[in-house]
Amino acid sequence: MNRVFYLFILIVFFLSSCIELIDDLTIHNDGSGTFKYIMNLSSSKIKVNSILALDSIDGKKVPSMAEIKTKLMSFAANLKTQPGISNVSMQINDFDLIVNFSCDFKTIGEFQSGFKSAITLINKDEKIEALNESWVSWDGRVLKRNIPILSLQILEGFKEGELDLLKTGSYTSINRFDRPIEKAEKLETKLNPAKTASMLRVNTFELQKNHLLIENTIYLTPIKIK
Amino acid sequence: MKNLILLSLLFNFSICFSQSEQLIPQNAITVFSINNLNLLQKISMDDLVKYDFMEEVHQELFDGSTSGKTLKDAGIDFNQRLNVFYGKTDDYEVSGFTFGVNNSSLLFEVFDDFTELKSNYKDVKEYGSFFNNLILKNNSALLIRIEPTAESIDRKTDSIWYSRGNEYPYGGMYEEEILFDEGFDEGDFDFEQNEAEAEVEEEEEEEEEELNEDPPFYFDSTEISIEDFPEASEDLNEKNYYELRDSVQLELQQYLLTQLLNDLFINNLTLLSIDPRFSEQLTHQCAGTFYLDNSRSFQQANGLWYFQTIMPSLYNDIKELYTGNVILGDLILNDKSLEFLVEARYGEKLGSIYQEMNDSKFDKNITKYIHKNSPAYFTYNVNLRKAYDKAYEVIMPIISAEKNADIAMNVLALELMNELINKDALFDTYKGSMFGTFNGIKKIKTKKIDYKYDDITFEYNETEVDAIEDMPIFSLGFSIDRHDIPEIILKNFSRLTSKFEKHDNYWVFNNAILDAAPLYMINKNNLFILTNDEDLAINHSDGYGSDQLGRKVRKEIKRNGFMNGYLDISGTLNRFPSDLLSERRSELINSLKGKSGKMYLKSAKTTTKITKFEMSYKFNGEENSGKHLLDVINTLYIFSK
Repeated sequence: MNRVFYLFILIVFFLSSCIELIDDLTIHNDGSGTFKYIMNLSSSKIKVNSILALDSIDGKKVPSMAEIKTKLMSFAANLKTQPGISNVSMQINDFDLIVNFSCDFKTIGEFQSGFKSAITLINKDEKIEALNESWVSWDGRVLKRNIPILSLQILEGFKEGELDLLKTGSYTSINRFDRPIEKAEKLETKLNPAKTASMLRVNTFELQKNHLLIENTIYLTPIKIK
Repeated sequence: MKNLILLSLLFNFSICFSQSEQLIPQNAITVFSINNLNLLQKISMDDLVKYDFMEEVHQELFDGSTSGKTLKDAGIDFNQRLNVFYGKTDDYEVSGFTFGVNNSSLLFEVFDDFTELKSNYKDVKEYGSFFNNLILKNNSALLIRIEPTAESIDRKTDSIWYSRGNEYPYGGMYEEEILFDEGFDEGDFDFEQNEAEAEVEEEEEEEEEELNEDPPFYFDSTEISIEDFPEASEDLNEKNYYELRDSVQLELQQYLLTQLLNDLFINNLTLLSIDPRFSEQLTHQCAGTFYLDNSRSFQQANGLWYFQTIMPSLYNDIKELYTGNVILGDLILNDKSLEFLVEARYGEKLGSIYQEMNDSKFDKNITKYIHKNSPAYFTYNVNLRKAYDKAYEVIMPIISAEKNADIAMNVLALELMNELINKDALFDTYKGSMFGTFNGIKKIKTKKIDYKYDDITFEYNETEVDAIEDMPIFSLGFSIDRHDIPEIILKNFSRLTSKFEKHDNYWVFNNAILDAAPLYMINKNNLFILTNDEDLAINHSDGYGSDQLGRKVRKEIKRNGFMNGYLDISGTLNRFPSDLLSERRSELINSLKGKSGKMYLKSAKTTTKITKFEMSYKFNGEENSGKHLLDVINTLYIFSK
């Protein structure tokens, strides 16, 4: 995999003592929707900036903030060209170290394949097997979702001590719908009073050990036919 | 008389059986010689080969042949010294170690990858493995690795390659870039050429553009594809460039080894025979000795080739300044401590500059800002004004004598600056004396962005809240007589940006450190201090008062020479985030991690010939002294590499 991307992931996942990740998926009744993703490293600014100031770690070049930005913007630009994807926005706050991404999609299928194509493009068409995994599906009533297995595979092979640093981080997965939720498979899932949104929050360290923690299936009430 | 005979017998005994040092090549620049080998008997070979000083020679020791063995099981003679050496010339690097052997069968159980080679020297046996050579003479051994430098191999390979009528080995794919790099100007292009020529050129350019999609001079060696290498020749008997280069490397290695062995066994040129300072050092009764020839390491320093080739006489003059510059050290091992006595010797001219520089009264304000519980600190007490005047007196005649236009302009600039610059103001602002402290890892206040969720909608808003992050706390202070000058600078910076704020006793530069933490500046009491220690700036801007270093320590610091240092290893290095340092510094810190104990460094008065340093390492714990000795040697090796 492209080294800049790899090192970026390394910085994000291993060397930040506290990371906050939020994914926010809205699916309308017609299958279209919006995906938002926030990566908040503002509480680890000292550590992340110290790493970015280095030339290399363990013999691997550390990308500069400019390289990381270029990579993320290139991902967004690639995603814009994918069918069924629109309103792609990538905002990078390099002072507070927050990445704010969002896009609209026509169908979940196009959203997932658009992501896959955009990642493949920034990695110079290198085949990434983990991208073949499906991490979100929607049949009009049931939403099955996880997080991309790719982000967890990267964590394999790192030392236990390095992963300890994830212990204070959190991953929040929010799903929003036009109609009420009937039930969610994960008992820890919180529903809002109107039952149109669900929220599941897990610890990033636990998630690394067991990616099923964030896997959830959400069943919606049937569409009322007037 | 009896005593005399007994003494002379003992002396002869020691000479006869301490031969390992006689195998140290003359080109060794750094040598660690461990005398008291009995201490190392219990060190396992597996532990030994993990040390950095073994890295050049240990490849074949990592093949399982050392498993479960100690040095004692390896047939090593503990009555002889173990000498670890490293050297570098313009053409090659040499590293290895010499030691005594009392059982060669046991030795070859460890060095089991070596095969015997034909030896041309009397009483000498030669063995070789893929990387290294093992030489046995009587009861001593030399394990050596000699590596020609890449530049030397390239130089010779190119010479042979082109003399055989070959062309540029890379197929001319980078010619366009070379042309532009060398100042090709489009304006020089002849636009009178006919259209046909222009078309051909255009086609060629297109082809070259295809080849040059990626800039060739910035490629990463890890991304070299097979297409980048010269193609194999159609004639299988003819070597391509890289095959030729491999052969040259092998031949050079063999040639250099032969030269080195000829010097050792025919010409009797060893470090011991050519440098009386080294041989004298080996007579010291101590656990180990250290030798670093700075004058030779100066000559081999990278970046001096320009001086050597363009201004040879200036290079020779500067080299003369460094003549006699050598660092010699004794390692003394006590029950729970190691003492390292170092002498830095230098020539009289350089010594006169050092002497003036170190002739400085200790600034007693410094110790007020070092907390009595500080896990690490140093003080550096010099007189930069005197050093400048002396350096001007010594160095200016050398560079003025050089007949070179660039140098002449530099001399003119220096002389004018010397006359026009207010040296009193300059050296009263930066006097040269300084101190630094490390006050451990503390929680410091920063800001972070928090996402607050609405329980009804799960929508979230960004809010800035206080955060706490771990940060190493450092202070660095400089002696100053002109407080008004930093004030002028800071006052004007504060006009430029609101990040600079003046408080009663200090200045603060917000978010100065890694865009997150404030930097405090204390400009009083004849000191200008930079620190990220909020407590020092706000509560102790006049020093720590009764919490400053104890009276006894303060007295000792004042009494010592220009340099003092203290390091509590468990309180400092074990907690130090070495990941955040450069690779070389991180390596140094990691070599000491896991230890407990305290290190003290002090220097004695500087003369025109010598400055003495004393470092002591007091350790705790159950680890044996030999292990501590190797740890310290390893740290010194990394430091001197």
